[in-house]
Formats: sequence, C-alpha cells, structure tokens
Amino acid sequence: MKKMKFKFLSLLLAVLVFSCYTPDDGDHVEPITTYEVIAGEWGLMNLTMVDEFAKRNNIKPNEENLSTLFNFEDFRIRFDVDENNRPTTYEVVGDVPPLFQLKGYWDLNSDFQPTNSSSIVIRLYSDADKTQLKDELHLTSVPRTNRQMELQIIRTTDGTPFVSYKFKLIEEI
Amino acid sequence: MKKIIYTFLFLALLTPSVSNAQEVIGAIKDMWSYPVVYSFDEEVTWYFDLAGTSAVENEDFYIWIWSPSEPDAGNFNSSSDFAKLTYEGDMIWSFTLTPTEYFSRTPEEIRNSDGFWFFLKDKTGTKQTEVTQMKYTDFSAFYDAGEIMKAYPSRPSLNEGVSILFNSNLVEGFENANNVYFHSGLNNWAVPMEYQAWVPERVEKTRTTNLGNGFYKMDLIPSEYYGVEPDFVMENIVFLFVAEDWTAVGPDLILNAAEDIPPPPAEFRFFPLQLSKKDFLGVIRINNERGVNSLHYTVNAGPKVITGEFTGNTTEIKGFIDLVTALKDVENVSEIHVVIEDNNGRVITDTTIPLIPLD
Repeated sequence: MKKMKFKFLSLLLAVLVFSCYTPDDGDHVEPITTYEVIAGEWGLMNLTMVDEFAKRNNIKPNEENLSTLFNFEDFRIRFDVDENNRPTTYEVVGDVPPLFQLKGYWDLNSDFQPTNSSSIVIRLYSDADKTQLKDELHLTSVPRTNRQMELQIIRTTDGTPFVSYKFKLIEEI
Repeated sequence: MKKIIYTFLFLALLTPSVSNAQEVIGAIKDMWSYPVVYSFDEEVTWYFDLAGTSAVENEDFYIWIWSPSEPDAGNFNSSSDFAKLTYEGDMIWSFTLTPTEYFSRTPEEIRNSDGFWFFLKDKTGTKQTEVTQMKYTDFSAFYDAGEIMKAYPSRPSLNEGVSILFNSNLVEGFENANNVYFHSGLNNWAVPMEYQAWVPERVEKTRTTNLGNGFYKMDLIPSEYYGVEPDFVMENIVFLFVAEDWTAVGPDLILNAAEDIPPPPAEFRFFPLQLSKKDFLGVIRINNERGVNSLHYTVNAGPKVITGEFTGNTTEIKGFIDLVTALKDVENVSEIHVVIEDNNGRVITDTTIPLIPLD
C-alpha cells in the first residue's frame, strides 16, 4: 500500500511538472497557405497552347507559342484575398480573349499544397457564394522564391484532355 | 574586311540624306546573272529574286550602287530612270548593264574595286532591301589552264544559264577561224541544235562570243535554246566547237546535267487536331510555292462569319483564328466550315471541322 502511494505521488508530480512545460519556440505562427503565395498580381511570361490529343499520339507539332498574339503580351491576372488571407475576387487585366472567365471569385481545392502529386486547382466562380463554378485552373508550378508560377486550363471531353493552355506567370512588383 | 568597313562607311555617310523613316523590306533571296560569266566590257543582265521580301509584284525598283562607282549619286530621293529595274514576273526583277559603261571605269579599275555593292530601293528612297553584293565569277584563270573547255556551272540545269568556254588554241585548224560555232544537242543528240552553215538564223544562233586570243564563249539557257518544255528531263548536253563552214572541228564534248532536286511539297495543317468553340484555330502552311505569301480564311460558325488573312513567306505562313472571342456568346454550334485560299485565289482547303463538346 505504501509502495502504491509512492507510485501515485510520483506520477502526479510528473504530470504537474510536464503540464507546466512550455516549449521555447517563439510566438505561435500559422502555417503559410497557398492562398498567401498566390495572392497578388501576375504578368504573363509565356503562353503555350498544347494539342493534348497530338501529344498523346506522338504527333508533332503539339505545342504552339501564343505569347505575342491576341494582346496576350498585356495579360495580367490578380488574385485578391481578405485580411485573413481568404480568397475573394480575381480579375484578368488586359484585353484578351476569354480562354476562361475573366473576372469573378476564386478558391482552391486545398488550402495547403498536397503532399501527393495531384496539382492544386484554382476554382473560378461567377458568384460570391461560390456555387457557380465556371472554370478551373491547374496550378502546375507553385510560386517559390523566384515568384513565378504556372497555371494550366485544360479542355476535356468525356474526361479526356484534347487541348490545354499553359500560362507561365511572374509576380508584378 | 575592307569591304565591310567600306560598306559601313558608306552607310554612315549616307545617313543624313536617308534619315527619313525607311522601311527595309528584307534581304534579296537570290541573285544571278546572264551570261553566267562575263567580261566587264560585255553586256550582262543581273537578276534579283525578291520573293520573301514585302515587295509586291510589278513594283518599281531602282538600283542604288556605290561600288565600283556611284552613277546615280545625289539622287537618292529621286532615282534616275537609268537605274530602274525591269520586272520579269514571278517576283524577279532585272537590271541590264555593261559594267565599264555604267560605272565609267576600265575593266582593270573594276577588277581592283571592292566589287558590286548595292541595295534596291523605290524611287523616293522610302523603302529598300538590305545591302548586298553581286558576286562576280572571275574566269581569267581559264586562259592559262590548258583546258579545251570549261563550263559555269560545270553541271547545267535545264532552266538556268550556262556559260561554256572554249580554248581553240589547243585544237589544230582554228588558227584562221573567223567565227566559231556551237554544234550541239540535248540528251545524246535527241534534241539537236546543229550548226547549219546554209541557214542564216541557225548561224546566228549557234555563233559563239569571241573573247580574243583564240578563246570563245557560248551562253545559253537549255530550255530556251533547245525549245523544250520546262519539265523536260535533261540528262546531258553533247557538243563540239566548229570553225566557220566546218573548216575545223573540235573534239566531242559532254556536260552532264545537274541532279534535278524538286522542291519539297507544300504541307498544310490545322492546329490543334481537335478543338472546341473556346479554342484558337491555328492555320499553318510550310514549303509554299513561289509567289504564295498569304492565306485568306473564311470561317462559318453558326451565325458568325470570321474572315481575315495571314502573311508569311515560302518557308511558312502561320496564324491563329480567334474562335474564343467570336463564339463566346454563340450557343449550339457543333461545327465550323473553313475555307482557306492563297493570295493567288487558289483554294487550299474547304472543309468542315467538328467542335468537340466540353465536359
């Protein structure tokens, strides 16, 4: 009985000691979300049209550069976030053909970059409630220190891609 | 190097008088002369191929040449008529001159100059080609070569000029010849053009040019000289040089024809192979025929008609049609009808393309 009382006291002491322990790792920081790295205005470096059907069947040419056509040299896209870094509106600046809806509301299919290889999708809506999904842009290259990213819009039929457009973008300063 | 410096010096000197905005229409694609080889005191025609530049058919062009001399100096803003080129058709212009007369220089002075440096321009100098040089083939080495015959080029082509030189000093009996004639035929005499001393026209046609000192030259374009169709397959020219009235006869000679390499066939394609109404339609044509430099398109898509043109050159004409904007408010369109014509009005394609339904 005396031995059990000692064990209980020892356990209690240990609980008390460890419950008072606070790791010294500085202030608590929220992890950076993909919203934060995408937010801002992006200008076009390069626009490539890909013939996905030809590419799948090893037919060349299967890529064409459209960067200097249809005013795409003036293409810019702005992704807005609120004070909590939540996505709000987006808008394409520049008089370019509407390869996707040129303004509206946006969010991502995932707040953080997935650990598997599936790409992040930027979902474009026509309404603030984000119920009317209009287009999806695949984030195929995430901005890093070079502040460049790559978006791709893919045309599919019965789930099979046949054309895509790759926008290589750089953050406007 | 000296030529390059000279050219830049000239351009620098030229700058004040030509500083008005000038359009450079591109490089001269090809140049040649007829006769192929010529003396500086002999009349020659230079040919300039402007296919691939933005020149248009039958446009007036003038030669602006400053070496060996500058015959039209001071008239850059209004070229003289004597510098005007002749349009030959098929985007080719020509200029005929006798170098010693045109440049007021002796053959020796021309030979020691930097060569024929020039560009082509419109009358008022608002547009011009890039600067270039007309190459000159110096055949003087033939005089000491100890060869009976030499041809430029050594393997002639049916529709291009050839110059054939003859050294009569190496053949007995030509010492006192008044004239020397070219007795010849195509493809082992299948198409003959004989020297017939009793037919004045034939005597005239087959007479060679006397270069002096026992040297003679024959200039001809096979298809014209022998009167065969441009698609005739020439294998060789067989010939002999003969003195007037057959008083002397040279050996049998032969020139094998150049290999006939046909130009690669034109290829047309759309890009991409499948598309929706929210895509661009690429129109691409490569290896275009001479004179084909633009494609006109008409696209019928439901209630919309989209027209336009793309320009390019013989290597490639390429452009993209914006279906994205044209069809953004058009519903229920499942196919487009596309007609493409070249600048000569020839239909390149007239086809219907289905529009793939999007998920």
